[in-house]
Amino acid sequence: MEQLTIVGKPVTRVDAEEKVTGEAVYGYDLVLPDMLYGKALFSPKPHARIKRINTEEAKQYPGVVAVITGKDAPWTHGESIKDKPFLAQDKVRYIGEPVAAVAAMDEDTAQAAVRLIEVEYEDLPAYFSPEEACKPGAIPIHENFASYRKFDFIVPGSMPNVCEHFKLRTGDVEKGFREADLVLEERYYVPVIQHAAIEPHSSHAQVDPESGRVTIWVANDAPFRALHEISEALGLSQEKIRFINPLQGGGFGSKGGLKVETIAVALAYHTKGKPVRVKFNREETFISTLTRHEAVIHIKSGVKQDGTLAARQMTLYWGAGAYAEKSPTVCIRGSLPAPGPYRIPHVRVDGYAAYTNKPVAGSFRGYGIPQGAWACEQHMDEIAKKLRMDPVELRLKNIFVDGDLAYWGEQLHSVGLKETLIKATQAIEWGKPPGFPASQLGGEEARRLKPNIKIGKGFACISKPTRTPTTSKAGVLVNSKGEITVLAGTVEIGQGCSTILSQVAAEELKVPLDKVRMAPLDTDMIPFDASTTSSRSTYHMGNAVRRAAIDAREKLMEMARPMLEAKNEELACSNGKVYLKDQPQMALPIGDVVRRKLGNDGIVRGDASYTYEIGKDLDLETGHSDHASAFYMYATQAAEVAVDEETGRVRILRMSAAHDVGKAINPLNCAAQIEGGLAMGIGSALHEEMVIDSQGKVRNPSFLDYHLVTSLDLPEMIPIIVECPEPEGPYGAKGLGEPGLAPTPAAIGNAVADAIGVRICDLPLNPERVYWAIQQKRAKGSSRWLTEVA
Amino acid sequence: MKRPEPLEIFQPASVEEASAIVKEKGPGGRFLAGGTDLIIAIKEKGLAPKYVVDLKRVPNLSGIREEADGSLTIRALTTMREVEISPLIRKRFPFLAQSAAEVGSIQIRNRATVGGNMANATPSADVAPSLLVLEARAKIASAGGERVLSLEEFFHGPGQTAMLPEEILTAIVIPPTHPKLVGEYIKFSPREMMDLAYVGVAIALVLNGKEKRCESVRIALGAVSPTPMRARKAEAVIEKQIFTEELAEKAGEEAAKECKPISDVRSSAEYRRAMVGTMTKRALLNAAAQRPGPVPWVERRERRY
Ligand SMILES: Cc1cc2nc3c(=O)[nH]c(=O)nc-3n(C[C@H](O)[C@H](O)[C@H](O)COP(=O)(O)OP(=O)(O)OC[C@H]3O[C@@H](n4cnc5c(N)ncnc54)[C@H](O)[C@@H]3O)c2cc1C
Repeated sequence: MEQLTIVGKPVTRVDAEEKVTGEAVYGYDLVLPDMLYGKALFSPKPHARIKRINTEEAKQYPGVVAVITGKDAPWTHGESIKDKPFLAQDKVRYIGEPVAAVAAMDEDTAQAAVRLIEVEYEDLPAYFSPEEACKPGAIPIHENFASYRKFDFIVPGSMPNVCEHFKLRTGDVEKGFREADLVLEERYYVPVIQHAAIEPHSSHAQVDPESGRVTIWVANDAPFRALHEISEALGLSQEKIRFINPLQGGGFGSKGGLKVETIAVALAYHTKGKPVRVKFNREETFISTLTRHEAVIHIKSGVKQDGTLAARQMTLYWGAGAYAEKSPTVCIRGSLPAPGPYRIPHVRVDGYAAYTNKPVAGSFRGYGIPQGAWACEQHMDEIAKKLRMDPVELRLKNIFVDGDLAYWGEQLHSVGLKETLIKATQAIEWGKPPGFPASQLGGEEARRLKPNIKIGKGFACISKPTRTPTTSKAGVLVNSKGEITVLAGTVEIGQGCSTILSQVAAEELKVPLDKVRMAPLDTDMIPFDASTTSSRSTYHMGNAVRRAAIDAREKLMEMARPMLEAKNEELACSNGKVYLKDQPQMALPIGDVVRRKLGNDGIVRGDASYTYEIGKDLDLETGHSDHASAFYMYATQAAEVAVDEETGRVRILRMSAAHDVGKAINPLNCAAQIEGGLAMGIGSALHEEMVIDSQGKVRNPSFLDYHLVTSLDLPEMIPIIVECPEPEGPYGAKGLGEPGLAPTPAAIGNAVADAIGVRICDLPLNPERVYWAIQQKRAKGSSRWLTEVA
Repeated sequence: MKRPEPLEIFQPASVEEASAIVKEKGPGGRFLAGGTDLIIAIKEKGLAPKYVVDLKRVPNLSGIREEADGSLTIRALTTMREVEISPLIRKRFPFLAQSAAEVGSIQIRNRATVGGNMANATPSADVAPSLLVLEARAKIASAGGERVLSLEEFFHGPGQTAMLPEEILTAIVIPPTHPKLVGEYIKFSPREMMDLAYVGVAIALVLNGKEKRCESVRIALGAVSPTPMRARKAEAVIEKQIFTEELAEKAGEEAAKECKPISDVRSSAEYRRAMVGTMTKRALLNAAAQRPGPVPWVERRERRY
């Protein structure tokens, strides 16, 4: 392969300066001329019929321009299932559902008017657990479910409130259990958490009264998909809709689909052409945008005495919340690999996404993998314990390697999992007695005195698929100054895509990185991209930008050929110049090539599209597919923890994270992604939980009581990059956005169990939960926290 | 509901003037110090004061001073950060500096005042337990004059104090203390920083001789009753006894019994009670291991002992 000059180098992020100086403009910051301010009224009821809404007083309020309810916005939307109204229609399905909205001269006025809206409700029975909601006899949260437009691969099945039933059928699990020496059955639970992006949600919208054109300014992670969804909802052709994407202050999956956008658009139809901004505060973001699926997971395995997995059966209940959002695909892509990255001959998985009367759940960094891993990887350690086997050895016996036929029917290649397992566990000195830096525990004196501190180690492995098949298109412009502009629909959500894509363009055009800039994202100008989700951008958009840059390069070379008086000689590019391979002194800067051919205003444009061509579609009866994913990401993380048995407080002493990224286009950015993922994963392991009470109300909708980790809570982090190249990926790259947090809670859970000798099956491992688990162990010797051999 | 009016703000130049404004405008106003409680209450919790009287222009309301008799005056508008880094406080009452340092973040501590922490009267106020074990007194002034209360009398309930609306907390006074006094404050919370105390425990201890007989001990608890409280039954366990680990544990058990925690979204009352026991014991052990004088800031106190 050709020597790489910029790809593979730890260059500084191209957006670093504007971000650290505060110059960057995020969606939340955006102010438009003549802008009005919108505020919404949120449902105080988890499930109720709306009997009457009175907006008269609000309309009279000075400074108010429009007051609207569901009647004024008679539209529904939804990517996979079209079930969600812009504003509640006839009934509300969760506390926090937008019921009415006001546009006014300023935000305080809008808020004051919102308080004047009177709504009369009639309560309906509500469900707050996905298992409860799909029990026989449960009343439907969506009465008209059957008539909703749905993706054609959606299989609701026959249970009430189930919006997707995913099935995986491989071999015969009963046979596998019969042949096993050990059968173990457990139940795990993952609570509702939230993305907690530092920038809350906001959207601006404007409807041109004459043309009917709708313009939406929003930091959405998938503007083209959102455009499609709005178009379908409004029954408006796509040309009439434009999305302009300001910078996004973090999303982690929360800013795809339509959230505040619908309220802004609904209001914009009533403001005579003036743009409206709807900005959620933190509490509104907590209750009324998106959450991660809670999951109840039953797992049962049959294992041979030597550790070989014989069979695994899993039932996963995914709490969808009040609307389907991305639940069907989270259910599919989270349930499919939930049995873990292992060779298992007999597998049966049933995943149910069930509506509940809780805030809407949807995509969240990891897309169902963290939940499955929390169950599967702790279950694996329990198996190891029962077999008196080293957990690493148990994994090595079963782990996916190149050429394996995965239980969903796909032949695997480029599997770097084993290397991640070995490197991550070595990094925390697996197998050696707990060693920890004395500084971590407060010096010698402290160490001597601490019989209540228990140290433990644990790890977890995952594999993660990406959304497949999808398309990315890109354009690359070269002007007469030799400057490059990349047109790509990938959204800079903080993950560093502008740096990665700039590196790719710079690599192919052989220009210094500072000659490359990313065009702002506007769906009127930028070529199509499926989404900035699913860790897909480096691979898909990386391929598209690479091809577009090559296209531009070839055009430049063609143009340069006569200028360099080349006949059959081969041309090449380097250092911003085109030259003759045999006579490198015969060289022209690429800007000069453009200028000489097209003049000072000339632009050479390269274009390309990349689609991963899928093999067979997912079989709906068996869950099998010969290409379920364009590529797979593999990772192992390992933790060493200290648990204070008198308080239940878990402190992570060090944590390694080995990720197979295929090829690190930017090792610095990879390490940062891994560390960021760890920080988020540690939060979800130790603290984070949206506490939703028995009435469906979020009790901690603020950062006071929703505990993210702080920098002081983070341990020594050891990111390890493993490169097992993916032949289709650009330079061999796979993806890395999501896996950083996926195995984290399970790795910590295993370390805690190792430390205290009790398995805790529910997240988060906050001090109180761990404390009571220890107390129960002491009181009984055995308890409900302990797992039993079935 | 009325259209929100712009907030009326006064910036008096003396305590008398500040108090007079409140007398004249009537109830429903608020004093403003650092604003780290008040502004959030206005912006996020729906508090709508009729007017605000900003105390930051009043001269001589901030600063730390040692008086001739050995007592220490901390004026109300002294910031948490000033208390945290004051050489005087670090030398004489390092645990008080510690309790100020436990508040929020540096940015918050640069604004948050000691007076605001007391006047706001949250059960979890971090500086309160340390001041309680020092038997601090609250100086309160109004146009009508000045009075002094013990801090225990000062707190009435969550958000409630002994002050009348027109009264201003001007200073906290720590009476002269025994030269051998050592102390400790442990803030127990799940996160390492930027968290409220689930349990706060402060200790002031005077031990005598090699045998470590306890000449006096004071224990105060935060976040486990409607006001920060003294744990007198726990104190009685150790008072005049020879200090031992067993006794510290017993005192912890006693403190766990006498506190009155509630269950809320943060934790259950039972857990808080258990942590009062553990943290009281640890705080006593930490304190007993110290010598009078500055203590280097090493790590979270909960992990020492
Ligand atoms: C992010 C964050 C983190 C925090 N973390 C902590 C923490 O860890 N521990 C903790 O204890 N607190 C914490 N707080 C709360 C707060 O910072 C403290 O209580 C602070 O000491 C309040 O002081 P202030 O000067 O800001 O008070 P203000 O907000 O100005 O006033 C608070 C109340 O006291 C009244 N008041 C103020 N001064 C006087 C006076 N001199 N006389 C009469 N009345 C007066 C005001 O009218 C108001 O009602 C936190 C706050 C924030 C925003």
